[in-house]
Amino acid sequence: METKEKTKFKHLEKWESTLSACIRCGYCFEHCPMFKYTGWESDAPRAKIITAFGLLSGELEPTKMAADKIFNCFYCKRCEAACSSGVTLTEIFTDAKKDLVEMGLKGPGTTSVTDLNCARCLICVKACPHEARFHGEDGIETDPVKCQACGICVEVCPAGAAKIENNFGTGREDLIQASSRFLSTHTSAKAIVFACNWSYFPDLQASRLPESETHDKDYEIYVNMCAGRLESQLLMAPFLNKAWGVLVAACPEDDCQHKNGNTRAKKLIQGLQSTMERVNIDPARLQVVEIPAGDKTLFQAQIDTFIDRLNAMGPIR
Amino acid sequence: MIHQKGIPMKSVDESKLREIFGENNVKTDPSDLYAFGSDSSVHHAMPWAVVRPDNTEQVQKLMVYANEALIPVIPRGGGSGMCGQTVPIYGGIILDMKHMNRILEINLPDVYCRVEPGVVDDDLNLALKPHGMFYPPTPASSRIATIGGEIANNASGVRSVKYGATRDAVLGMKVVMPSGDLVTLGAHTRVEASGYQLHKLMVGSEGTLGIVVEATLNFVPIPEYRCMGIANFDHLSHAGAAIGAIMSSGATPSMLELVDSVAIKAVNKTMNLGLKEVAASLIFEADGMVKEAVDYEINKMKEICKKNHGSDITTSYDPKERAKIFMGRKKLFPALSKYDDSLSSTSLADDMAVPYSKMAEMAGKIHEVAKKNNIIMTAYGHCGSGCMHTKILMDTKRPDQWASAKKAITEIYEYVRSVNGTTSAEHGIGLSKAESFKVEKADSLKLLQTIKQALDPNNILNPGKLMQAPEDWVTATGLRYSVNN
Ligand SMILES: Cc1cc2nc3c(=O)[nH]c(=O)nc-3n(C[C@H](O)[C@H](O)[C@H](O)COP(=O)(O)OP(=O)(O)OC[C@H]3O[C@@H](n4cnc5c(N)ncnc54)[C@H](O)[C@@H]3O)c2cc1C
Repeated sequence: METKEKTKFKHLEKWESTLSACIRCGYCFEHCPMFKYTGWESDAPRAKIITAFGLLSGELEPTKMAADKIFNCFYCKRCEAACSSGVTLTEIFTDAKKDLVEMGLKGPGTTSVTDLNCARCLICVKACPHEARFHGEDGIETDPVKCQACGICVEVCPAGAAKIENNFGTGREDLIQASSRFLSTHTSAKAIVFACNWSYFPDLQASRLPESETHDKDYEIYVNMCAGRLESQLLMAPFLNKAWGVLVAACPEDDCQHKNGNTRAKKLIQGLQSTMERVNIDPARLQVVEIPAGDKTLFQAQIDTFIDRLNAMGPIR
Repeated sequence: MIHQKGIPMKSVDESKLREIFGENNVKTDPSDLYAFGSDSSVHHAMPWAVVRPDNTEQVQKLMVYANEALIPVIPRGGGSGMCGQTVPIYGGIILDMKHMNRILEINLPDVYCRVEPGVVDDDLNLALKPHGMFYPPTPASSRIATIGGEIANNASGVRSVKYGATRDAVLGMKVVMPSGDLVTLGAHTRVEASGYQLHKLMVGSEGTLGIVVEATLNFVPIPEYRCMGIANFDHLSHAGAAIGAIMSSGATPSMLELVDSVAIKAVNKTMNLGLKEVAASLIFEADGMVKEAVDYEINKMKEICKKNHGSDITTSYDPKERAKIFMGRKKLFPALSKYDDSLSSTSLADDMAVPYSKMAEMAGKIHEVAKKNNIIMTAYGHCGSGCMHTKILMDTKRPDQWASAKKAITEIYEYVRSVNGTTSAEHGIGLSKAESFKVEKADSLKLLQTIKQALDPNNILNPGKLMQAPEDWVTATGLRYSVNN
């Protein structure tokens, strides 16, 4: 296509040759949580690259809808791991975001926002692993370029004022609902696994299996983006729905994409385990395991061990 | 009526689409349309709308509407087609089949499965694995390619040398015709001699004859043993002789791949793999249920390689060692993309097939033509099935490089046809390869158009592809690259 009038995308400009080098194979689809949730190819990483190219070449108007494509990203970098051309997609998205913000197009997309009931306690500012939250003119604000949508601010906010409005199925309520649906529709259901997107290497992309293949499933895996985002309510909800156990998969220590998401999760789980002990529930029913990014084999082995242990314990009486 | 490029209309009734598919399953914003305007090819064109069916009835309703309103409909799976098959050259509605993605039945006693077209190949294999089975036509793009797209392109892959292409695995299907009628083609049985075998006609039809809404597919047991080997050659012709000798020896490789010197250099340059920089390497594999039988096959191939001046021959059953052997081939894609910052790896003239005895000569021809036209081309491929892959590395900003690529491609296809080869082995024709396709099939073009006319009289299903595509692929649509004025 002929290059139209050069645009104001000065940060994006340096990626011009990379945008051409991307062979648009689409290998980045498969693990993108955005795509898994909406099922629309136009929300997937390849579409973001095409959007970035369109914006840079002037073929696509920088509208709110186009900007949202770029701002809707959890930075899980699954797309980069899968890329057949070695393209660092999220770096391109970040530069596109910089340009869009300068044009007044700030998303929010998956960027966390602050509600009016914010007490300005600054806990989120301190907790944010990406230094994206700050005390600005309008109270606590988020830098939309720096925010990586890990959700840790949402977890730590005592007032419930920090929010990710477009959470694409990774929000607390969505996960509670999805897990309770699984537990109530599968008689063999025993466990819920909450996995951060780095430890979890989802198998089936989006295809749906026949009933005959899934009716005797004893666990279901839900991606919550970062383990640091888990809260007590979410972790305990499956037990109210007769789950035998809950397993959390997080990144190994010192290898967390969001700095300390894994240690946060561990601390939370330790606290919950002691509460469980107090009410005579075996704390081993709530476990956290460390899985290096994409180690599918280890992840499966840990799930199998956990299920074996639950089988030995039986249901909670 | 054949849609012409430049038809100014954008006559799609959005409310009608919303009525058929529901609010959340229709996209009309330019940002969505722009993303759906390309696939893995060099082409780009804007559709007018994208719709996402969940069931066959919706597809039927759409076709009734589109057939009456004369709106092009372009079925789309994973959008991994490399020749612009899903690029809406005359605009129209993209029919995104990815949401019809249910695996409906895995029938072990009858050795078939029924799936909707949006099921991703890898997903099907994951579902079959616990039963000890696999679906073998699997292309390299299996992590994204859908069964519908694979059927429409007759996809095949590294194991097709032993297990065949998609056409060999499809037993039957349900298809929505351009009129909106639903037909059941083929059977659920291994063999069928009842009439025209229309399901096989749908295979490779690139979404121009009907929309596959369900497919019945054959599968096979996962072999207990796999052994892979590699041999290096100092002359392309020696590797070529080895290919022919292996294929005519009675050995049954489950994989036979060639990588040329350009490919090896590219991998070394960008991935630092330290592969020996020889003229060509052959990677071969045998599989089976009995180790002695696999040994027999692999030894036979080893011997043939040796006889044809192959060196550094190693083989292994160990999965880790096998992965190491295959690494050079596997890393080829990223290697070519990273070869030089100013060059892009384009999918053009990328999958011709020639008789076995011409494989090496073909690779040599590719090098010769590339050099003459001042572009970089590499030759690699599934030589066991006669398929040669190439990638053209060029500076996509420079119009003169497009002109050189065009010239080189024409020359290469002239050679392919002169040795009784064919334009496409597995990726299909779409837009990019129509020029050679039309020459190759010159005496059957009328027949092809007659079939198209009979099944799709209003020419609404993926118009402008295959025999209808413009000869000049460079100007057929916009390009997905910025080309300097
Ligand atoms: C990196 C890479 C590697 C590849 N390797 C291989 C390989 O090894 N072997 C190989 O064969 N191909 C390969 N391909 C090409 C491509 O992936 C395959 O041809 C694949 O079958 C396309 O599937 P898709 O779902 O992406 O189809 P799309 O690209 O979406 O569509 C392809 C064609 O199918 C039609 N279509 C889609 N769904 C339907 C339906 N339900 N009914 C009717 N028509 C339909 C479309 O209209 C179009 O004409 C590769 C591509 C890439 C990018």
